[in-house]
Amino acid sequence: METDVFIIGGGVTGTGIARDLTLRGLSVILVEKGDLNAGASGGNHGLLHSGARYVCSDPEAAIECAAEVKILKKNAAHCIEETGGLFVAVKGDKENYIADFPDMCKKSGIPSEFIDPKEAREMEPSLSDETIAAYKVNDASINPFKLSIENINDAVSRDACYLSHTKVESLKIENKTIVYARVRNQISGKTDKIKAKTYVNAAGAWAGNIAVMAGIHINMVFSKGTLLVTNNRIAKRVINRLRKPTDGDILVPGGVVSILGTTSVRIKSPDNIYPTVKEVDDIISEGEKMIPELKACRYIRAYAGVRPLVSMGSGNDREVSRGFTLLDHEKDQVNNFITITGGKLSTYRLMAEKASDIVCKKHQISMNCRTKTIPLPSTHSGEWSEPGVLATDLFKPNTQKDPFLCECEMVPTSAINTVIHSIKKNGGTSDLSSIALRTRVGKGPCQGTFCSMRILSHLYDTGEMTNQTGINDLKYFLNERWKGERSLLWGQALVQSSLKEMIHCGLFGLELIEK
Amino acid sequence: MKDKKQITCDITVIGAGFAGMVAAARASDLGLKTVQTGNSSHLYFASGLFDFLGVYPLGSRTPIEDPRTGLELLQKEMPDHPYSKTSLETILKSFDFLARFLHSTGLNYVKPDKDNRSVLTAAGTFKPTCMMPETISKGGLLKKDTPLLLIDFKGLEGFCAGQIAAVLKKNHPYIFTLSVEVPGESGNLNPTYLATLFEDSSFLKNLATQISPFSNKVKLVGMPAVCGINKSLDILTRLEKMTGLDIFEIPMMPPSIPGLRLKNAFEKKLAGNHVHFLSQTKITSPQFNGSEFILNAVNQNMETQIRSKGIILATGRFPGGGLHAKRGCIQETVFNLPVYQPDERSLWHHLNFFEKQGHMINTAGVETDIVFRPVDTHGAVIYENLYAVGTLLAHNDWVRLKSGSGVSAVSAVTAVNDFYKKNTAGL
Repeated sequence: METDVFIIGGGVTGTGIARDLTLRGLSVILVEKGDLNAGASGGNHGLLHSGARYVCSDPEAAIECAAEVKILKKNAAHCIEETGGLFVAVKGDKENYIADFPDMCKKSGIPSEFIDPKEAREMEPSLSDETIAAYKVNDASINPFKLSIENINDAVSRDACYLSHTKVESLKIENKTIVYARVRNQISGKTDKIKAKTYVNAAGAWAGNIAVMAGIHINMVFSKGTLLVTNNRIAKRVINRLRKPTDGDILVPGGVVSILGTTSVRIKSPDNIYPTVKEVDDIISEGEKMIPELKACRYIRAYAGVRPLVSMGSGNDREVSRGFTLLDHEKDQVNNFITITGGKLSTYRLMAEKASDIVCKKHQISMNCRTKTIPLPSTHSGEWSEPGVLATDLFKPNTQKDPFLCECEMVPTSAINTVIHSIKKNGGTSDLSSIALRTRVGKGPCQGTFCSMRILSHLYDTGEMTNQTGINDLKYFLNERWKGERSLLWGQALVQSSLKEMIHCGLFGLELIEK
Repeated sequence: MKDKKQITCDITVIGAGFAGMVAAARASDLGLKTVQTGNSSHLYFASGLFDFLGVYPLGSRTPIEDPRTGLELLQKEMPDHPYSKTSLETILKSFDFLARFLHSTGLNYVKPDKDNRSVLTAAGTFKPTCMMPETISKGGLLKKDTPLLLIDFKGLEGFCAGQIAAVLKKNHPYIFTLSVEVPGESGNLNPTYLATLFEDSSFLKNLATQISPFSNKVKLVGMPAVCGINKSLDILTRLEKMTGLDIFEIPMMPPSIPGLRLKNAFEKKLAGNHVHFLSQTKITSPQFNGSEFILNAVNQNMETQIRSKGIILATGRFPGGGLHAKRGCIQETVFNLPVYQPDERSLWHHLNFFEKQGHMINTAGVETDIVFRPVDTHGAVIYENLYAVGTLLAHNDWVRLKSGSGVSAVSAVTAVNDFYKKNTAGL
């Protein structure tokens, strides 16, 4: 296969670059070793920062956030819910941070408005009665899955090629130039050579692993963050703790749920991460100080993401002195290779723009970035990833002829068929995990107990699946859901998981099936 | 104001799941004045298959063939397991009692064989079990290379003939599939509703016409376990006659029709035995006055005070509500009995859902003496006439050992027998 630009990594950055470059007329192949947003892009709060969180620690990042948020609210409105946000302090929080906050916001040009704590509690009744200060800011929530789906769909509509479950195995270098990448499909095991003029490493936490294939060492540092999803939406707005950023201090609404996080734990490798019982307990005990009902509410899922950070040491090879790292490897003696990693979800578009600018320079294309002005188109296949939006809001299923396959999240058969169609169009295969990634399937209280079997049957019924891999697919899917459940199993959630085990192990005996 | 009633009885069975039903059956059979509380709709989650011991030791790759050898080993290695408090003979007697009781209601089960039997499930897997309804048992005729017709029904979710065929293909290459459209139904087909259709003879005739063309290709037919709610065996036999084929049912996800048949059979027969069933009730603030228990059974409409000499606690584990897990510990919900449990929550569940050793939380429960009376941490019996039976018992990962029904039946029968033996003189 041949293309102008080969992009490695299907997170928000990689898909954002794919869109940006196709808008400037370049051809693109994007490979992802798993599926969309498998790394940090899928393991975050879904928070579009007003910038206020960074006004004290990193004013430059704060200003950058504020500018990007403005663009995204205009151009990707269908991926965003304009919730607004509050910063609140509770009894015992540091007085001087609270006192400095409005001035620091003003200095960075970030709007914030003082709210009487009593009024804040009227706006958000779940706030603690020990709230001592509150400020209103322009935070919003964004759906990172929908964002990546829409970015890649838009790129594919201009003939970009997206290859999921495709891992880069090696980069062939001749005369300071990558001549091809050898890739392997993780499902079929087939290998392929991809030739490109330029290679973009947007592998996030795995960027170091890719760079090594070109003989380049990037000093990656990994920080794991754990987040919890509540069964109901606790607050209308984004609620931030008004203090120096630390653990368990942000609650972000996402449709009908809320997401509480996060932690920051240094880890050695970005692979095989999962939320631990201790992290979950720590997050809840911090969160409940701000919002007491977080102590007793039902949680349906926990997940963890890895923030990729690049430790630059000394020297002047730092291209961009901000939250993200952009490296042109020309100075590492590989002329057609760049790496972009780190950064924030809120600034993904800017990161894609900066990376694309370097690529375009290498291709002698003078056209400026267009994602700043051209809105991100809305396609149907991204609809069902909307967190918790009721089916009826988006799609009117005829309940007679179009039964729900996932009853918890009310995903009808027709929606599953739309997603299957879209996966096919992008050259992928439909299985439980790829469907779950693109829909709310399995994310409700039953955590896939019933819908897994129903959708699997549907896949066989419609001829999408024909061999015996279905059982392995079912086991894999249930185990993926399990990673998010196991640290949160008490009360009603434990009842559900017991039921799941009764059906899938007790009756079906899946634990006895060998791969 | 709620109505307040008072009743006095010999024995109260708290819980209307499988173990509670067996206990009430045994108690009423012995002529004890029996009251039962709880919610029988949990039986919708019962597969209708009665397991004795399907896997031992945990971690082994294959199910055991002969549960007796497995039992012998288990009794040696797991002295705390409920089976280690009883004997093979008592277990078999309990199964026998169960089979006789259900037979008298018209629900026919195939009695245990020496070896476990494998039952084909909707996932295309085989489940080892001990006793099964006759409507399921002909699945045993399925041998390697047996030509088989698998039927599914359009709109019946979670059951696809093609899926089972795909999974079975390796060992069973001669499988045909048939997807039956139910006249007038185009959407989601509720299993309970579909099962009632089987009681209609024109539906059955129509179905037979669709199956018949396969009669020169196959001898055996598998269909989802929805073949009627009442008289399922009669209906299946009629369908077999109409088609000239052997037919068997395949258990699927809840709501389970074989479970519903059990619920109906127990409820009907227990009512006939004069068991006073306080449906959908919860027990609040139980007390013991030195000679009898005083319980309040509460539901939306009424509150009943029960004075009872003995109690069979058959409240189940987490789904049944017998155990409740808080963020840090597990509690017994009616009497606040001591609960055997792992030391901390991080030990409750393994990282892999399908870990073959099972999750430690599934060994949690109430510990008892050899006649299933709860004991305190020193091993002393807590109340003379309080028994705990079924999945509430500790040290029994019944889902993984495939030992649920056996432990429920033997503990329920043993507990009731013990109460009867000790108390009949005074009754």
